[in-house]
Amino acid sequence: MSGMSKIVKTITSIAFPFVMIYGLYVILHGHLTPGGGFQGGAVVASACAMIVVAFGSIWTMKKIKENQLSILESIGAIGFIVFAFLGLIILFDNSGIFFKNVFANSVYLFGQSVEYASTTANINTAGTLPLMNIAVGLKVIAGLFVIVLVMAYASNKIKERGD
Amino acid sequence: MTMRNAAGVIFFAIVAVFFIFSILSLHPFGDFGEEGDKYYLEPKMDDYIIDNAQNETGANNAVTSVVFDYRGFDTLGEATVLFTAVAGVILIFRRLGK
Amino acid sequence: MTEDLLISLIHIVVPILIIAASIVAIYLKDLIAAAIAVAAMSLLLSLEFFILQAPDVAIAEAGVGACLTTAILIIAIKSTKRMEDEA
Repeated sequence: MSGMSKIVKTITSIAFPFVMIYGLYVILHGHLTPGGGFQGGAVVASACAMIVVAFGSIWTMKKIKENQLSILESIGAIGFIVFAFLGLIILFDNSGIFFKNVFANSVYLFGQSVEYASTTANINTAGTLPLMNIAVGLKVIAGLFVIVLVMAYASNKIKERGD
Repeated sequence: MTMRNAAGVIFFAIVAVFFIFSILSLHPFGDFGEEGDKYYLEPKMDDYIIDNAQNETGANNAVTSVVFDYRGFDTLGEATVLFTAVAGVILIFRRLGK
Repeated sequence: MTEDLLISLIHIVVPILIIAASIVAIYLKDLIAAAIAVAAMSLLLSLEFFILQAPDVAIAEAGVGACLTTAILIIAIKSTKRMEDEA
C-alpha cells in the first residue's frame, strides 16, 4: 500500500499538526493538567500512525528509520533511570532515597513550591516530575510508533514478495 | 454440547461466582469505615496523599505525583514492559522486512 | 436535579452500548468491520471513564485503544485474510 487517495492525504496533512500539538501539550503540562507522559505519548504516536496509514509505510520508512526510533526510545529509558537515580546522589539536600524528588521546593530547575489547595497553573514547579514526564513521553512515542511502522513495512514487503 | 463447551461453561461459572463474591465484599464508594474495622487504615493513605502531595512534590496534579514520585517503581516496571515489547517486535519483524 | 438524572441516564446507556458493540464485534464475519466495532467499543469505554471522572485513563484509552490497536489489527488483517471462514 503506497498511500491512500489524495483526499485522505490532504486531510491528514491538515489534522496532523493539531493532534501533535495536543499530545505535546499533554506531555509538557503533565504536572498541571490531567494526563502525563504515557497519555501524551499515546496521542502523538496516534498522529504518527495516521501518517503511516495515509502515506504508506515505504514513504514513512524513507523519512525515518527504525534504528533512529530505537535510539530515541533508549534515550527516554536512560533519562528516566537517571532522574530516578538523582535521588540517591548525596549532592543535594534531603536526598539518599531512590526516586526521591530532589528538585522539588529547591532553588534548582522546576523548583518553586505550591501552596496547599492551590489551583494556579505555574509551570516552574514539581521538581523532577516534568523531566520524567518528558523522558517517558519520548519513550512511549518512539516505542508505539516503531511497533506500527515496523509491522506495516514488514507486511508490505511480504505481500510484494508474494508469499 | 461437546465436552469442550461444557468445560468452558463450567469455567465461566466459576469465574463469574468469584467475581460476584469479590464485588459483594467491596466497601461502598467513599466509605472510610469505623474505627476497629479490618480495613480502617487503608483509606488513610489516600488522605495522606491528598493532604501532602502539593506541599511535598510541588505538583498541582496529584495523580502525576503518585505515578512518578510516590509509586515510581510501578512506572519503572511499566517502562520495562514497553521496552521488552518493542525489542520483541523489532526482533521478529526486522528480518521479515529485509 | 435534572443534571443528576441526565448523568444517571448516561451511566445506564453507555455500558449497554459498550456491551452491544462487543457482541457485534464477536458476530461479524468481516474482520475489518469487527476491528472497527472494537474501536467503537474502546471509544465508548473512554467516554465512560471520562464520566467516572478519570480523565487520565480516558486519554490513554482513546489513544491506545481506539487508534493504535485498530491500526495494528488492520495491518494484520491486510496481510492475511479479510473474511472469517465458515467453520
